Amino acid sequence: MAGDDENGEGVLHPREALRLIEEQRGQVRRRLQPDPLFMYVPWGVAWTIGFGVLFLRLGLTGEPYVPIPSGVATGILLAAMAVAMAVTVFLGLRTGISVRGVSQDRGMMYGISWSVAFFTSGTIASRFVAVGRLDDREAGLLWSALSLLVIGVLYMAGGAVWRHWTMFFIGVGILAVNIVGTMAGPGWHALLTTVCCGGGFIVAGLVEHRRWRKAGA
Amino acid sequence: MSERLRDGGGRGAGEGGFRELDPVIHAQARLRVVVALNALPEGDQIAFPGLRDLLNMTAGNLSVHLSKLEDAGYVSIVKTHKGRTPVTYVALTSRGRAAFDDYTAAIRELLGTAETGRNA
Repeated sequence: MAGDDENGEGVLHPREALRLIEEQRGQVRRRLQPDPLFMYVPWGVAWTIGFGVLFLRLGLTGEPYVPIPSGVATGILLAAMAVAMAVTVFLGLRTGISVRGVSQDRGMMYGISWSVAFFTSGTIASRFVAVGRLDDREAGLLWSALSLLVIGVLYMAGGAVWRHWTMFFIGVGILAVNIVGTMAGPGWHALLTTVCCGGGFIVAGLVEHRRWRKAGA
Repeated sequence: MSERLRDGGGRGAGEGGFRELDPVIHAQARLRVVVALNALPEGDQIAFPGLRDLLNMTAGNLSVHLSKLEDAGYVSIVKTHKGRTPVTYVALTSRGRAAFDDYTAAIRELLGTAETGRNA
C-alpha cells in the first residue's frame, strides 16, 4: 500500500510514478468491475440445467428421454435463471461503490430494456399459445425462440453500448443458435441452447476472467 | 503554484526540452486520486465514500488532496442530497483528464518508454 506518505507531497521518481499509475489503475478496474467469472458462469450453469431438462423432456424425435412434466421443466428453467440473476445482481451491487452519471443512465435504460422486451415477448407468446393451434412442443418452442431473440438482441445492444465485443458476439451466437434451433425443431432447439449457449457462457466466463486478471495485474 | 497552474499546469515544455512534471499531480497521494478518477468513464461521478474506499485513504487526507485538485481545476466536487443524507460526488474535469494525459506522456518521455502502454 502506498500510504506511508500521509500528505502525499513526497518526491516521486518517474519510474515509481509510472508503476503507481499502472498498479492503481488495475486496482480500480478490478474493484469497479466484478470478476466476469461470476458474471457469466452462473448463467452458463443455469442455461445448461434449464435447457438440458427441457431437452430431456422433449427428445429429438418427439419421444421424451425422461418423462418430466411440462410444469416441472419450466419451473426448473425459471428457478435456474432466477438463481443466476440473483448471483450476478448481488455481485454487481457488492462493489458498493456509488457512481452516478453516464454509466448509471446507461445501466438503468439497459435494465429497463430487458424488462420491457421480455414483457413484450411474453405477451406475444401468450397470445399465440392461447389461440390453441400450437401443440405443446411448438408452443414451448415459440416461448424459447422469442426469449432467445430478446436475449440475443439485448446482448448485441449491450456490446454496442459498452463497446464490449465478447458481449456482442455472445448475442450473435445466441441468435445463430436460435435460427438453427428454430428451423430444426423443439428438441434440437433445446439441445443446441444447452450445449452452445450454456457452454458458451461458461467458456466466455473463463476467457473474460483471464483478461480481467491480466488487466488488474 | 497557482500562478503556474493558471498557465496550464504541467503542459509547458521546459527550457531544456524536458517537460516539467505537473506538481499538482506529481505527488503520490494525488496521483493515486487522479488515476482512480481517470479510470471512471467520462461523465461519471463517484461518491466520496466510494472513492475513499477505493483508495484506502482517510477521509481527512482525501479531502485535503481533493481540494488541491479542485483548486487547480482538475476535479469537480458536487455536494448534493440523497433523500436527507448529504452526498458528495467527485469527478475529474476535462482539464484534469488532459492534465493527467500530459503527465503520463511526460513521465513516459522522461523514461524513454513513449507509447509502450495504452492510456485508457
